[in-house]
Amino acid sequence: MLETMTRVRIVGRAPRLGEVLQRLYRIRLLQLESAVEEPETPLTPVPGDAGRDERAGELRLLLARLDGLLELADSGRPGVGDGPDVPAGQVTAELDRIAPEIELLVARIDDLQDELAVMPRYLEPLRQLLPLVPDLAALDEQELRALRLDTVALVLDTEDDRLVETLRGALHELVGDRFELVATRVDADAVGCLIVVAHSDAHTVRELLGREQVRHLPLPQRYARLSFHGAVAAMEARLRDLPDELEGAKADLREILEPRSRGWRSASIRLAAELEQLEAVDRLGATARTFVAVGWTPSSQLPLLRRELELAANAEIALDVVEPAPDAAPPVLMRNRTPVRPFEFLVRLLDLPRAGSLDPTMLMALFLPLMVGVMIGDIVYGALLLGLALFARRRFAARSPVIRDLSRVFVAGSLWAIAFGFLFGEALGDLGKHAVGLPALWFYRGGRDAVEPLLLFSLALGAVHVVLGLVLGIWRSALERRGGELLERSGSLLALSGVFGLAGVAADRLPGGALAPAAAAVVVGVVLLVVPGGALGLMMGPLGLIGTLGNVLSYLRLAAVGLASAYLAVVANKLGSLGPIWMGVLVAALFHALNLALAAFSPMIQALRLHYVEFFSKFYEGGGEPFRPFGERSAA
Amino acid sequence: MQHGLMALGAGIAVGLAALGTGFAQAKIGAAGMAAIAEKPELTGRAILMVAIPETLVILGFAVAAMILVLL
Repeated sequence: MLETMTRVRIVGRAPRLGEVLQRLYRIRLLQLESAVEEPETPLTPVPGDAGRDERAGELRLLLARLDGLLELADSGRPGVGDGPDVPAGQVTAELDRIAPEIELLVARIDDLQDELAVMPRYLEPLRQLLPLVPDLAALDEQELRALRLDTVALVLDTEDDRLVETLRGALHELVGDRFELVATRVDADAVGCLIVVAHSDAHTVRELLGREQVRHLPLPQRYARLSFHGAVAAMEARLRDLPDELEGAKADLREILEPRSRGWRSASIRLAAELEQLEAVDRLGATARTFVAVGWTPSSQLPLLRRELELAANAEIALDVVEPAPDAAPPVLMRNRTPVRPFEFLVRLLDLPRAGSLDPTMLMALFLPLMVGVMIGDIVYGALLLGLALFARRRFAARSPVIRDLSRVFVAGSLWAIAFGFLFGEALGDLGKHAVGLPALWFYRGGRDAVEPLLLFSLALGAVHVVLGLVLGIWRSALERRGGELLERSGSLLALSGVFGLAGVAADRLPGGALAPAAAAVVVGVVLLVVPGGALGLMMGPLGLIGTLGNVLSYLRLAAVGLASAYLAVVANKLGSLGPIWMGVLVAALFHALNLALAAFSPMIQALRLHYVEFFSKFYEGGGEPFRPFGERSAA
Repeated sequence: MQHGLMALGAGIAVGLAALGTGFAQAKIGAAGMAAIAEKPELTGRAILMVAIPETLVILGFAVAAMILVLL
């Protein structure tokens, strides 16, 4: 459910501002809004304080520098106050002192990484080309110059070998026979070429290559004076040395950063807190002797907020509940019971509900694990997933809230999978049935006669889910007095009920007398769907009904994914029964592991989709802004 | 012979529908990943968009299942 929000105005004596702000910061119960923009009370901003603005500017700069260095240190984040408490001035002085050294090291690491990435691109074409010109390869730059020869190495990004001949032709047109061109394919889509020309023609050749946008391979400056053979040998040696040199530079950087990062982290948290408090003052209003704060607080926390403020200001403070403006959108805070809370994350993944709308977390907690369970439907798979989820929760929950929430969702899903495993009589597919005679309490999914009941069950679950969504949508539309939407949703529900009735009559599950009321329900429903849309409704109304029917049919994926999982398990067992027993166990284990991995992802994604697309589209209103209490930014 | 053709029809129904879904999902998935790289908060909507064409293969499965029930 969504917490109801109350808009409050706090008025206190100006000298108490500091204590009040500190208390508000600590209790994190108030989302501050700009008090100066309140229309009913003419307020001025809290009197300017040059020292405060200067301090805020300093803190912003220092925090940006600290964040950059902490990102570079990439160390685990300790809790608040974990590191030594270093004053801001000391942090600044330390940063000024070591920044040049760090900048040099970072630049050196970047250069080495670039060199490591670029070197093979020079080396490989040269290595392959040089055997083609053995005499030339041994000459260094001075010897080449003495012979009045120039060389140009280049790479043609092409799969077509004929391009080399085209280049040869172009060179011939340009300099006649006064050149040598050797080429070899360096990989599937690149040809390396080496051109030797007279020094007097070199400029013309380079112009041609530049015009045709051919990729040159100029040797790095440090190798340019060597012979080609010498350059290749030097580059190979350099390539061998580079990883150690890079590791050394990284170690030097770590040596500087690591001993300081804990202290910096603590300083960063403390300075962020101070900055948040300084910036909060800009949101306050003031009169000659008072300060005024305006904001939102959860209604259930109002007494606590009042008590804390009175303690902070020694009762010299007033807290009033004010009526929000009609167009004001309160922030949204989801507050559900503990077992349901992990599903909030899945709702937020789509969008935060709009303030005052319906929070579907509880319904999601009810249906999503059930759907996951229907699709997996295997005792052993369910038990293994339960074990994995509990392990993940114990091992990683403290480090990652997402893993904590997801593991709880998986615990619920795997319990349903075990329950449906008993109903379908499946344990590692048909192994339980054949090995220990596990009976199916309902029906076995691998049987020939299982398709029909499984399809019907999936459709029934879909019908319940979609109808529930429509009923909730009708309720919301009625509450918010949105007539057109109410008519559309009522029409969808009526027409859908009529279609169910017609299907029941066609399948001999309902008496023939139900035909006329069912047909009438469809007709009336379609009319209700058409009316709000006017002329466009003539097209959109029937399409809406088809869409709703498609939503129900979409739940057939529960059967489809479930059958795929059951048959993959049967295939694993069948393959396992072939050949020697050790090989059979190995093959079966491999296939079951694959099936388990699929079972861990696919049913969750499918169940989520059914909620987001089929269920939520009937009533859900997103677009809420999260509740961000003063003090939360630094806590995060 | 008739059973064989029906089974073949069921396979074609699912197979072609799966191809259509895969084609659509490939394009939507690529665009979705690009969007998530820019704005991670769009993950939920990207999943939603990627999942939409799956209705095609589900309808193919429904047709195949109906054929198999008749077998």
